[in-house]
Amino acid sequence: MSISTSPRAQSAAPALGYLSGIRTVFGLEIRQRIRNRGWYIMLGIWFVVVAAVVGLAALSVGEEGPGAGQVMFELVIAFVLFFGMLIAPALSANSITGDRANGTLAILQNTLLTPGQLLWGKWLASWVASLGFLVVTIPLIGWAMTYGDVYLPAAPVLLGMLAVELGIVCALGVGVSALANRTLFAVMVTYLLVAMLGLGTLIAYGLSMQLVKTEVNVANQLWPETYMNGEFMGDWDENNYTCETRTYVQETFATERITWLLAANPFVVVADAAPRSPAPVDSPMFSAAGPMGAISEGVRYSQAGPEFQIPCLNGVKNTVLPPIPAPLWPLGLGIQVLIAGGIVAAGRNRLRTPAGKLAGGTRIA
Amino acid sequence: METAVTGPGQAPGQRQDLGLGITATGLARSFGAVRAVENIDFHAAPGKVTALIGPNGSGKTTLLLMLASLLRPDAGSIRIQGIDPTADPRAVRAVLGWMPDTRGFWESLISREILTTVAALYGIGKAQARVRAAELLEVVNLGELADTPARVLSRGQAQRLSLARALVNDPSVLLLDEPASGLDPGARVQLRQLVRQLADSGKTVVISSHVLVELDEMADAAVFLSRGKTMRSQSLAEAGAQSRGYTIASLDLDMLRVALAEANFEAAYRGNLENGGGSAKVKLTGEVQAAELLGRLAGAGVPVTAFAPTSGLLEETYLSLEDEMP
Repeated sequence: MSISTSPRAQSAAPALGYLSGIRTVFGLEIRQRIRNRGWYIMLGIWFVVVAAVVGLAALSVGEEGPGAGQVMFELVIAFVLFFGMLIAPALSANSITGDRANGTLAILQNTLLTPGQLLWGKWLASWVASLGFLVVTIPLIGWAMTYGDVYLPAAPVLLGMLAVELGIVCALGVGVSALANRTLFAVMVTYLLVAMLGLGTLIAYGLSMQLVKTEVNVANQLWPETYMNGEFMGDWDENNYTCETRTYVQETFATERITWLLAANPFVVVADAAPRSPAPVDSPMFSAAGPMGAISEGVRYSQAGPEFQIPCLNGVKNTVLPPIPAPLWPLGLGIQVLIAGGIVAAGRNRLRTPAGKLAGGTRIA
Repeated sequence: METAVTGPGQAPGQRQDLGLGITATGLARSFGAVRAVENIDFHAAPGKVTALIGPNGSGKTTLLLMLASLLRPDAGSIRIQGIDPTADPRAVRAVLGWMPDTRGFWESLISREILTTVAALYGIGKAQARVRAAELLEVVNLGELADTPARVLSRGQAQRLSLARALVNDPSVLLLDEPASGLDPGARVQLRQLVRQLADSGKTVVISSHVLVELDEMADAAVFLSRGKTMRSQSLAEAGAQSRGYTIASLDLDMLRVALAEANFEAAYRGNLENGGGSAKVKLTGEVQAAELLGRLAGAGVPVTAFAPTSGLLEETYLSLEDEMP
């Protein structure tokens, strides 16, 4: 028998496939979640709340109202997105801080698992867990579908983008969780990040209005006599006007220059990505019935800017339709992926062992 | 106890001069302003149980974390089976088993799942992992609790599961941080036998504990730490040769006093209240002197009822080190 000159470890090379490591962490996480009774209680409460909202919406829309199914469908999407933004941080931001507190993180780190595999597994598990909330709303979506007027090509896109947004929030949560020492802190920071995307973008947009204030020459619109005296009974044609020759200066906002600030808003990303129903849109007025459609319309209106918003620009009747704007959602999704990716990458650094720096007062075991 | 804990199957000749076991020199590590480990030299040989002894906060756990490739030393070098854990942590982890002093588990998982999950993280296939888990649960006497969620395990049971987890990858180096805490006397005896068995199969075993008497019975060598420094490394054989205190009990304290004074021994006496008996504590240079003294006392007709070391071997060294400390 020859005496080996190399230590044993080099012959027994570490053999944990990248995907198999991810799968094991994923399985470990999911198994723990589905054995948690709180999870089912949350799902139940969730279903009741969303069902109540949708039921009330169905009441107010009425059986025969135009686009009732579309409104209900979009309401479900909007609420799942809204509540998903509230639930996903809680589902994801404890995934690593919890292990730290239990002492199980070091056990995982002491195996052949790499920080990357750990993060992928944790992220996938929390994403799947939050998708569970989307799945239980399927009956409600089905109910909306029974109205028969849902614009079908948009439905899978809305659902798909909704899932993607939940994934982004989960990535934020898992990344923050890897960086933080305490679960409470991680959940709070994740909420702040989500609020930054959801509300911060709106605030930034609103405040930036002052920066793009411009002055334009406008004239008053003149409508036909029959429109004005209350006797008009036919179809309202909003292009049936003329302009006064006298113009005056009016302040307006060049919103087309700041609409990009809204891009990273999760609602904008989901709404903007959905194809719009091909119903003739022959005016810049809002025509969408549901909340997601309204958001999409609003964003496009903002993208068009005053050139297309003002009916009597420089005293000339302005019925030019705005060009179809470039989609905003790729920018928004790109920003979100960058933020989430950056945080996860920082978290991955933090999970590297042997650990160099440790935050004050932490034990890694 | 029949166990299936197999050794890594290396030839005996392989163990020598290849830097196998654990060697650490000049280790230092601080956490902010706290210097947990200042200067530690540590060696643990394959096939031996090395005890790590020191008061609370002396750097035992920090040292074990560094050896377990989880913590980077600020200075110094470590070789585990000849591999540097800072350079190639995964290779070290493949040959290392670490039992932390925290008993963290995935609480909703049953014992068997915990072991198969960890096995999967070492790249062990499903079928093999199941066999390994069943084997290890038997080894630590948890066979009946294989389907019990970790949440309901008692402290001692969790401790045994933690040991089984550390053995999943059949490590050739085993680091045990306070493995005996929370174990009942029976389980302690089993742990002792198991640790001995693991070492005898060629594994390098490092064990930290506060219960020094227990270490006496399983350790081959001991490293004493204090305030982040290595105070002494010795084998148990060396410890046996050092001077240590003996307690001698007698039915007649006065006779004992006279006999000891004649033999020129300084002793501390304590009498019983209800009769003339009592005990004396003396310092003896070794076992030879102890045997001599006992013979002399018996020859002088002193009614001796007990003649034994006051404390365990390691405790003796530990206490003598405390005396040396400023």
